[in-house]
Amino acid sequence: MSHYSHAAKKERRYGKIAVAGLLTTSVGLLATAGVYAGLSATATGAESVTSGTLNLTLTPDVGAGFSNFTGKIAPGDTDNVYVNLINTGTLASAAGMTLAVAGAPSNALTNGSVVGEGLTVTATQCSVAWTLATGVCSGTLTTILASTQVSATSAGVALSNIPALVAATGQVAHVQVSLGLAATETSVNGVAPGSTIQGLSTTLTYTFTEQQRTGVATNQ
Amino acid sequence: MKRLTHSTACRTAATAAALLLGVALLPPLAGASGVGGTAAATEAVASATWGVTASVTSMAFTSSTFQTSNASNTGNVALIAESYSITVSKPASGTPTFKVFRCAVPWVSTLCSGGAGTQVGGTLAANTTTTITSSTAMAVAGVYYLQVEPAGVTVSTTVTISPRITGPSQVRAAVKTNQ
Repeated sequence: MSHYSHAAKKERRYGKIAVAGLLTTSVGLLATAGVYAGLSATATGAESVTSGTLNLTLTPDVGAGFSNFTGKIAPGDTDNVYVNLINTGTLASAAGMTLAVAGAPSNALTNGSVVGEGLTVTATQCSVAWTLATGVCSGTLTTILASTQVSATSAGVALSNIPALVAATGQVAHVQVSLGLAATETSVNGVAPGSTIQGLSTTLTYTFTEQQRTGVATNQ
Repeated sequence: MKRLTHSTACRTAATAAALLLGVALLPPLAGASGVGGTAAATEAVASATWGVTASVTSMAFTSSTFQTSNASNTGNVALIAESYSITVSKPASGTPTFKVFRCAVPWVSTLCSGGAGTQVGGTLAANTTTTITSSTAMAVAGVYYLQVEPAGVTVSTTVTISPRITGPSQVRAAVKTNQ
């Protein structure tokens, strides 16, 4: 019994010593960390930065711009609309631009379901504003999109020959967008073929898209 | 078994970490493609219809009596020409022939304003199908009066008239609109 009591006292003493040792070590470590914190140094500098904007604006050039074609478009007809594409952002755009034309509702006028028939779109750029009454360009004429089936433009088609089209900030492009109808079908005794482009309506959305100029690396 | 479980857990953790890393990296990559500017506008459009409808499309002849049919522009655009596919059946006997005449007003006692009218196409023989064309403008809802004039009919012979309008060649001249 006495032997066990002596051993227990001895274990408690060792435990106190261990706790005291741990406490001393902890205090020592904290003190050391305090010394290191006291020796750190900082240096700051300021740099202001502003992000650019890339904005493309579509406005009427001459006439009403995109609106409603009030008549019934027949094969061979042309509906010319004159618009300005303006880079109104603070960033230059990359060379190249795309045009997508989508119809709602989608039907044979726009979805290519009748082979060789449907609406077509053509885009031509003029170096100056167009003359509305005659549809004539008195400046330099550049075809930027040859006659293309609307059904082929839903995903966007590249406008060609336009390395400088609204590339610079504030630049304006005077564009004639021509809508036509390709149709070679025959109506028999007043009845159109089963698959026809006749008597259909749709609302076209023209979307022009530009991309920002290439990123610039500056060393200063 | 325990070791296997531990290994599976490690693999799961590693996969999750890789996925998280990938998700974390995606925004910067998308941003690297740059910004784009778009401008859009809409335009409504409707297409025309073209066609001519004959009031009578099948005529049965047992004698050489003339018969008539009215051809109406039932589309919504004017026409510059109209075609008719004329089929003459093969009679049991004889060799009848047929002619088609056009008049701007209704026929009266087989006469067009007191005259013979204007022949469309040539003489049509039995057992043939022929397309004849009238190069006459036709307004929307306009009507032309046709008269089929047989000769030499002795037994039942059928003439079928099928108006055909093909765009763009028979539709009014193209219109260019600047707006």
